[in-house]
Amino acid sequence: MQPHDRIFSYVYQALIALCLIGFSQISLAKNELPTIDEQYLNIEISDPARDAGYVIGDILNRKITLTIKKPYQLIIESLPIVGYEHLYRGKKSGIELVKINTKIEKNSASETYALDLSYQVFKTDRLVKPAALRAESLRIRNTSSKEVVQYKLPAFTFRISPLSVFGQVNLSQEMYPFTPPLTLDNDNVIFNLKVLAAALALALLGLLYIFGAHAWLPKMGAPFAKAYRDIRKMSDSTENLKQAVTRVHESLNKTAKESLFNHNLDAFIARNATFLPVKKEIEQFFGLSHQVFFEDSSQPLTTEDPKAWLLQLCRRLRDCERGLTPDPLQGAHA
Amino acid sequence: MPNDLIYHTYLGEDGKPHVSPGPILEAGEDLSIFFFNEINRARPQVHSLLLRVMAERTLTAFNKEHRFPHMLVFADRNQVEKEETFDIPSAARDRFMMEIPIVVPQDLDIMESLVFDTRFHDVDNLIAGVPEDILEYKNLNSFAATLQDNISTSPTLRKYALDLWHATKSPLDYEVKVSGVDMNRLVLSGASPRGMAMLLRAARVNAWLNDREAVLPDDIHAVFHETIAHRLVFSPVYEMRRTEIAREMLDGIINVIAAP
Repeated sequence: MQPHDRIFSYVYQALIALCLIGFSQISLAKNELPTIDEQYLNIEISDPARDAGYVIGDILNRKITLTIKKPYQLIIESLPIVGYEHLYRGKKSGIELVKINTKIEKNSASETYALDLSYQVFKTDRLVKPAALRAESLRIRNTSSKEVVQYKLPAFTFRISPLSVFGQVNLSQEMYPFTPPLTLDNDNVIFNLKVLAAALALALLGLLYIFGAHAWLPKMGAPFAKAYRDIRKMSDSTENLKQAVTRVHESLNKTAKESLFNHNLDAFIARNATFLPVKKEIEQFFGLSHQVFFEDSSQPLTTEDPKAWLLQLCRRLRDCERGLTPDPLQGAHA
Repeated sequence: MPNDLIYHTYLGEDGKPHVSPGPILEAGEDLSIFFFNEINRARPQVHSLLLRVMAERTLTAFNKEHRFPHMLVFADRNQVEKEETFDIPSAARDRFMMEIPIVVPQDLDIMESLVFDTRFHDVDNLIAGVPEDILEYKNLNSFAATLQDNISTSPTLRKYALDLWHATKSPLDYEVKVSGVDMNRLVLSGASPRGMAMLLRAARVNAWLNDREAVLPDDIHAVFHETIAHRLVFSPVYEMRRTEIAREMLDGIINVIAAP
């Protein structure tokens, strides 16, 4: 084919196309129903409060109260169908009717249709885009003349917003209800928690060891209880006997909160009546202490087996400091 | 005046001046007890003379040295009366072995006797009723030496006594406190070495009186206040309350220091 023939062919095809478009518009115009006279119709519309900021998943509710006077009557089948998605400029609009409730009230002069329409947004974009609840076309029949007319509900235009700011997006800062929860990296936290738990366990074990060894029972860490345990561990020797007597002195002084001697023993007993049963033994102990520390060391002690006697004394003093009645004296004697 | 203790002068019946020995010289070497009534009314020069006699037990007078080997000095003073008195300095107080407060008895029977029993109204008569020659005063020195040599003190007791001594000097080191007193300023000087020696001498006597051959802490406690309280030198602001402060401080020391 020659070039000029090809150009002629293109122009010819274009003319045919223009003619076809013109015919189709003429035919469409011919199919359009007439609009109902406004005097037969009354409409009240309650649109969503805002007209911007909608994102995918949002639901827009529209309430329409339509009163049609007789002889006109709404063709119920012309109401929009759930699931129907409008086309907008040849593309799916992404606005879908998800629910429709219809209530009809009839009276002698008119019929009132309360339409509750719920549309859901199924589109999103990286920029703000216009969208609309399109003008639904309702068909109305004249019951006398059987003429069918139409009425277009007014459209509601709004803007759809993107889910996040266009560009670099930090999802954790752009939270949105459909975004699944973001998981934080908690490995370090769990590791620290384990380390601290181990440290706590060690500390508790340490405390258990410290207090368990010395004060497991009430008053187990009290002066005479400690002295009793210390003296029990001592072997028999002159030096250890001095140490044992010193331990009992220390315990007496600690309990009395002053240095206890014969001259203030009565006052001590008056303040600590639980020690009254052992008053005589305390005096006896002072006698032993005098022999050990102050008197002629070459003289034999008047107390047989002083360690056993001191242990028994400590045990009785320990009972007293625990508020118990001391065990009766046994075995060793002064 | 000091000389009044040594001699006194007077005009005799013959009209001539005479010199007679004073109270100290009068008894000579046999002087065993010298009682000084209201010593704080004497002048400091008299204190000085007396303290010299107490320390050296000798006195030079009439070109001759007089010795008083058995002399014991007792003195009393009225702590309430302050007018025309001369306070005894701390160094002088230190020469006295003990200071014993004499207080009015609190026992109602004794109080009643003191008031209604006429026996107590004539002191000379009362003293005359005391039996004589109970003690051979000439043997007291040798007996005292024997007693002091034979009553022992163990190392533990020595350490205890030294702790007490240190505490009289630095009570705060032992956390001894006296109510209402700044302990940092209270003590200017604690017990003297002479004082501690006197304390142990008295403690040995107490041990002997209780049939013991060794001194116990209880013996020290028995004489602690009497031998130490008057030797403490307090800051002048606390001198007026000396008796009560010394008592509380020494009680605190005994309560705090353990033996052993």
